[in-house]
Amino acid sequence: MKKTLKPREREQLLGTMYGGPMGLWFTLFFTVPLGIIILYSFMKRGLYGGVEWEFTLDAYRQMFNPSFAMVVVRTLWISVLSTFLCILIAIPCGYAMAKSKHQTFLLFLIIIPFWTNSLIRIYAWISILSTEGFINSLLMRIGLIDSGLKLIYNNGAVVLVLIYMYLPFAILPLFTTIDKFDFSLLDAARDLGATKLGAIVKVMFPNIRSGLSTAFIFTFIPIFGAYTVPLLVGGKDSTMIGNIIVDQVSKTRNWPLASAFSMILTLISLVGVFWMLYNGKREQMQKGSKKTTQQALEHNIKAHHSLRGTK
Amino acid sequence: MKRFVKVFWVFLVCILVLSSTACKRKSSENGKLYLYNWTYYTPDNLVAKFEEETGIDVIIDNFASNEEMFAKVMAGGNKGYDILFPSSDYTQIMIKLGLLAELDHEKLPNLSHIAPLIREKATYDPHFSYAVPYFMGSSGIAVNTERVEGAYERSWAIFSDPRFAGRMSLLDDMREVMGAALKHLGFEGNTTDEEELTMAAELINKSWKPNIVKFDSESFGKAFSRGEFVVVHAYPENVFAELPSENWPSIDFFIPAEGGMMYIDNMVIPVGADNIENAHTFINFIHNPENYALFLDAFGFPPTTNTGAAQYMKNTDFFFSVEDLAHSDNIQDLGPDLEIYNQLWQTVRYEH
Repeated sequence: MKKTLKPREREQLLGTMYGGPMGLWFTLFFTVPLGIIILYSFMKRGLYGGVEWEFTLDAYRQMFNPSFAMVVVRTLWISVLSTFLCILIAIPCGYAMAKSKHQTFLLFLIIIPFWTNSLIRIYAWISILSTEGFINSLLMRIGLIDSGLKLIYNNGAVVLVLIYMYLPFAILPLFTTIDKFDFSLLDAARDLGATKLGAIVKVMFPNIRSGLSTAFIFTFIPIFGAYTVPLLVGGKDSTMIGNIIVDQVSKTRNWPLASAFSMILTLISLVGVFWMLYNGKREQMQKGSKKTTQQALEHNIKAHHSLRGTK
Repeated sequence: MKRFVKVFWVFLVCILVLSSTACKRKSSENGKLYLYNWTYYTPDNLVAKFEEETGIDVIIDNFASNEEMFAKVMAGGNKGYDILFPSSDYTQIMIKLGLLAELDHEKLPNLSHIAPLIREKATYDPHFSYAVPYFMGSSGIAVNTERVEGAYERSWAIFSDPRFAGRMSLLDDMREVMGAALKHLGFEGNTTDEEELTMAAELINKSWKPNIVKFDSESFGKAFSRGEFVVVHAYPENVFAELPSENWPSIDFFIPAEGGMMYIDNMVIPVGADNIENAHTFINFIHNPENYALFLDAFGFPPTTNTGAAQYMKNTDFFFSVEDLAHSDNIQDLGPDLEIYNQLWQTVRYEH
């Protein structure tokens, strides 16, 4: 007797099949390396790099010293500040894009920088900011300043270039959520007496919360692990956690310590992702039985397909 | 669609033709030789000459740091390469760990051209039993004389000079900077004495660090050529490579009289190499003075390593001479004692 699968079961089976290759890929090339990092962070360092197979908490103990504490604090404030500014700039950008008639063109403009290697873009910033650079020579020609300003090789330059590098990652998720937002709600709010800003803050922001948290995660996590930007445009006091990790692997040959620092980065990223998931769930719970337009649409499509199936 | 298929076929044929001609060029009658060298450290014309003279095919792979090379060798890369080019400290480590094959001096008659000073400095292998020097060089200080007014001290003390504050950089390299401070204080550059090292770190933290913009091993050459930095702790080739030769006279490059940290890059054959015979042929070929002169000219290096090469060189205007290295110390592997350096270097690099 031939066993026929119910449509729902078949769908699930197909889902597993489609997801299989990707699942395998991530297990092999993402989970396994991560496992190695976790393992290494609990081992004794090899004298000439690598590890010795002996359990120890040395790496975590070494992290607690004033030199590293300063770097961690600096990494935190630089990341928080740059992320905050990124989002602050990205909200009006996303709003303007959602309202614009030339969405495709604007999206295209945002994506263009990704065509160029990030190192080259950092070097471009160096030639803009340096003492003999574009900004300084322009200001000198106008006569505003007599000698070059120190615009580069400090933490301000690091924050500026970080914002430049990760701004698209904040704009894109914000744009997609703002685009889905029903703008007639703003008119309704204004009709009911809200000011223009009040309508945006009280009506629009709660509705784009998922975009805000995605933008936060997408910018904060890579900025927190940044390495090339502080290395190239930072000064003597711009070292971030990413630089410590590289130094430990490539200079001082302390692989367990590098792994331990990577663990910190991973843990912080995980907290961020879980926070995002939790936020998404809460939003769904709040909406309760009311179906979102998205869900309603999905329902309609499904109904349509099953109808065709019976024909 | 037809059009697309046509284009595809043309493309495929092109690739086949190109790859077959490439194969033809590479067909070798006398086997192969796999080199693993630093990036921009093997001149093309020298390799071409070697291939032509010996009929041996040379395949070159590059690394950017000793650590990278060493990690690859430890992971089994010794099987794939015939000659590696580690610096002296890593040569020392590799000899100690038994990773290197002993050299047959019968096949290396040209070793007679190697400068006597190297035998003195190469304490890790003074008889070249495992390692033949490729180039002996040194870091030093480059000053942009066009942008510096008045006299300045031609020693490490220049980094304490407040006139150049905010326009100087030190290498982002623990052994180079700590070594410079040690030499300036009159100590040995490879010391493991905690008191001496603490004094060196203090000198860097109190007198040098406030005056420098950053610790930079990546882009100091570019910043120097732009005029952003006027005094840099540097490897001379990085500085001179960024500037056209007509600007070279305005650069004052010197190795301080109290000495600095120097390096010897070596050619070594890893245990397990397949083409040991060809590797010896290459090492001997390099130290033929005529060939060695080609190598030096390609990078503007001074003839510190091979004394016979000077007469064949086109370039005679050198960044430094072999005499300048007399008081310098070769960077040595310190084994577990390196941790003392690490601890102090952390206060230099990560605290403010």
